[in-house]
Amino acid sequence: MPATPIERVRNFSIIAHIDHGKSTLADRLLERTGTVAARDMTEQLLDTMDLERERGITIKAQAVRIVHRASDGLTYQLNLIDTPGHVDFAYEVSRALAACEGAILVVDASQGIEAQTLANVYKAVDLGLALVPVVNKIDLPAAEPERVVAEIERVLGLPAGQTLLASARTGAGIDQVLEAVVERVPAPIGDRAAPLQALIFDSKYDAYRGVIIYVRLMAGRIAAGTQIKMMAGGASFTVDEVGIFRPQMTLVDELAAGEVGYLVASIRDVRDAKVGDTVTNLEDPAAAPLPGYRQVTPMVWAGLYPVEGDAYPDLREALGRLQLNDAALTYEPETSVALGFGFRCGFLGLLHLDIVQERLEREFTLDLITTAPSVAYRVTTHDGAEILVDNPAQLPDASQIDQICEPRVEAELLMPRDAVGQVMELCQERRGEMLHLEYQVGDRALLRYDLPLGEIISDFYDQLKSRSRGYASLDYELRAYRPAELVKLDVLVAGSRVDALSSITHKNRAQLQGRRLVERLKTLIPRQLFEVPIQAAVGGRIIARETVPALRKDVLAKCYGGDITRKRKLLEKQREGKKRMKRVGNVEIPQEAFMAVLRLEQS
Amino acid sequence: MIAPGTLRPRALYLHVPFCERLCPYCDFAVHLGGAGLHPRYVDAMALELDTLAETGADPAGAPLTTVFIGGGTPSLLAPELLERLLERVRAGFGIAPGAEVTIEANPSGITSEAAVRWLAAGVTRVSLGVQSLDDDVLRQLGRSHDAATAVAAVERLRQAGVRHLSCDLIYAVPGRPAATFARSLERLLTLNPEHVSCYELTVETGTRLHRQVVRGLVRPPAAAAALRQHWWAVDRLEAAGLAQYEVSNFARPGEQSRHNRVYWRGGTYWGVGAGAHGHLAVPLARRLGMPVAPGAAAVRCWNQRSTPRYLAQVEREGQGRAGWEGVQAEQRRLERWLLGLRRREGVRLSTVHARAEAPQLAAAQLVTLDRERVRVTRRGAEVLDQIALRLAG
Repeated sequence: MPATPIERVRNFSIIAHIDHGKSTLADRLLERTGTVAARDMTEQLLDTMDLERERGITIKAQAVRIVHRASDGLTYQLNLIDTPGHVDFAYEVSRALAACEGAILVVDASQGIEAQTLANVYKAVDLGLALVPVVNKIDLPAAEPERVVAEIERVLGLPAGQTLLASARTGAGIDQVLEAVVERVPAPIGDRAAPLQALIFDSKYDAYRGVIIYVRLMAGRIAAGTQIKMMAGGASFTVDEVGIFRPQMTLVDELAAGEVGYLVASIRDVRDAKVGDTVTNLEDPAAAPLPGYRQVTPMVWAGLYPVEGDAYPDLREALGRLQLNDAALTYEPETSVALGFGFRCGFLGLLHLDIVQERLEREFTLDLITTAPSVAYRVTTHDGAEILVDNPAQLPDASQIDQICEPRVEAELLMPRDAVGQVMELCQERRGEMLHLEYQVGDRALLRYDLPLGEIISDFYDQLKSRSRGYASLDYELRAYRPAELVKLDVLVAGSRVDALSSITHKNRAQLQGRRLVERLKTLIPRQLFEVPIQAAVGGRIIARETVPALRKDVLAKCYGGDITRKRKLLEKQREGKKRMKRVGNVEIPQEAFMAVLRLEQS
Repeated sequence: MIAPGTLRPRALYLHVPFCERLCPYCDFAVHLGGAGLHPRYVDAMALELDTLAETGADPAGAPLTTVFIGGGTPSLLAPELLERLLERVRAGFGIAPGAEVTIEANPSGITSEAAVRWLAAGVTRVSLGVQSLDDDVLRQLGRSHDAATAVAAVERLRQAGVRHLSCDLIYAVPGRPAATFARSLERLLTLNPEHVSCYELTVETGTRLHRQVVRGLVRPPAAAAALRQHWWAVDRLEAAGLAQYEVSNFARPGEQSRHNRVYWRGGTYWGVGAGAHGHLAVPLARRLGMPVAPGAAAVRCWNQRSTPRYLAQVEREGQGRAGWEGVQAEQRRLERWLLGLRRREGVRLSTVHARAEAPQLAAAQLVTLDRERVRVTRRGAEVLDQIALRLAG
């Protein structure tokens, strides 16, 4: 299949709130253009991982080529690039959008515009993408398309006349959407004779072919045999195969500027093909890489431990296999007094952590305990040494510490004007320093804050969403380390310090944090044979205490011949439950307790 | 604990499901009304006994040392039916001289004549369902007798020559103060039973009482209040010369129930009748048509719970089994702790795990360690099932 003339290529993505019908619309576009026969349709074709289908979120980007004969009689190549949908993957979203010239904005006809939509619309606007607003689900009884069309005009400044009405479920308006993509999304611009410049917007590991790189060509051409080089990463390879997704992988002769597809080049490690990097010719490289490359590094660290110690080798192998497909995941062995052998893993954020944990448990059938996430602190000791501490348990004794520096981020928060006050309040509570406030077109306001990373990794995002009724968006970038008055908050269960429950917190918040933590732990640790005191301590000083009372009574009154089997089965069931707990000294602590530090604000 | 090995059970449980009414707290296999069904039921049990004896009776002739006729209300059976039943037991399995043969009885309807015939038929011990000696409580418990009937029943049994008498008593009845229970117990002690089973009223799923509790119509006493009644009873009974030898059982010297001790020691026993459970050695179970996976240490089996279903199956197949399971070594270990800790004698330490755990529990004063023997303390007895779990590992 030769390259399509560049003027007949359209690259677009779909921006939508979580259940406003993005996947259904995508399915319908594929079906209507014959890309996928109706009988092969599985709901949400684009979301391939089970986890994605269940949660209705996209973790990895996808790209499908649609061939569409438009009303002008010409055949167009439409490339639909799907984007991930969470702040942890904000950078991946920006790269996927950077591979497009336009975006369909899907808004539910009864719900109206919601947060996720807004955040990504702002990103798309900043990247100069043409927007095709579509009000979806117009067939539902609660639909108010006129109101939503007006809202789109008011909030986003998109003229009402441009908004299309559709129902992805019934198929109404789908043809108009396809026509609008052809008409309104500009054709890409790119010199096919120039040296190769291909933007990597995703990659995934395939056991047979190695790393499959998703690319958008900005200039030049690429085909099997092309010698390539990663401009940021530096590694070079020979291309084995180029192709497109229809949506299954399909070989093509070449990809040319403007087009979207994949390439395979016997690459063994996803870290050699990082999102945002530019692929160019080895021999005749482009003068400069494409703008916007950012090294994606872990922001938060947490310990992952197998519930049962003998599963440690399985966990190691599973992490190795996940990492093949996840360049942002890092791990190294660590040990905990309470939890035994495990790994300290680095993640982009909490959702990333959640996804990794869930995939480990589901795909590798592991039972895991995750410790509270932490950021990495720079600690200077009195003898002048500087150490990086990403595990609170490793923090040296306060008497040895000269200074602790915490990572700070510059956060960009977008929200409707009326949410500014609430969001500022949240940022202040989290020791933020305001850098900039700007009211922009339509209803939108931009806040820039300098915030401690440690304050935003826990529940900041959830709080932000709830205080802005879901409308605020967050993007952040690591800036600098700054000294702060931080202390280690220890937890003692039945008198012994549980290293996996330690956290690092600001001095002024330690008291409150400690109090809440022991209260929370009290609700999470079930009654035991003994009374279990739970204490929070800072530098050996107890600052809060709660007690889990001992189990009052657990004994069967009658236990005769016919009762034995039943009673034993009951106890066996309890024993299964206990296996999911960690025994620390005499106390059985359930998995959730180790995450308690994280969930404090929700309690 | 007796290793089941290839030994044949020397204990037999016979279940007689008939009751005149359904007690709201009871979850045993019971069948209401219909004395017309009794002969047919006894025939069915006889048939089941024959089948088991044919395959399983000890060819060396070691006879049964304990028989327990429980229910339901076995005392509802006409004496001739009981005679027929025990005759078949004797014919099939043999009953050793000096064996303990217990029958459960309800106070209402007991006559000296009947009791005399029970004794003549081989019964040595009567377990009387007194439950309370307070008329209001008895009404609340749905019993058909009042306190005076219970007292009279004891007198009649004594007149008939019953020398080993056990009385059941229930505490922790919703809405009844400890003093009410205390009065019942005091009155019971004046009747001089050799043995007392003193139970906390347990709310079992599927009972009327359970439904009432779920709907909030009845509120059982808090754990602490129930335990207070329990410990008061223990102290009072011990002071009266009835020593606690199991969580809920008290006896004068030499009066402990041998049959029930078989359960708590993990021994084997036959179970015959609707809903009856048996505990058998693996080779014996295999011979009786219960294949189990290799590695099983023993087999627990149970009969059809519904009386009509039991009757139909026995009449068709000569046996009334509804199911069985091979008890694996690990499960057996749990049973050993679960049952053994209930006994005053305690359990001997045998596993590495338990040896490591026991001192911790002893330090917390939940158990005492006397050389190799683990016994629960008073506090330990309150949470005995959790301790068993802990020691079994």
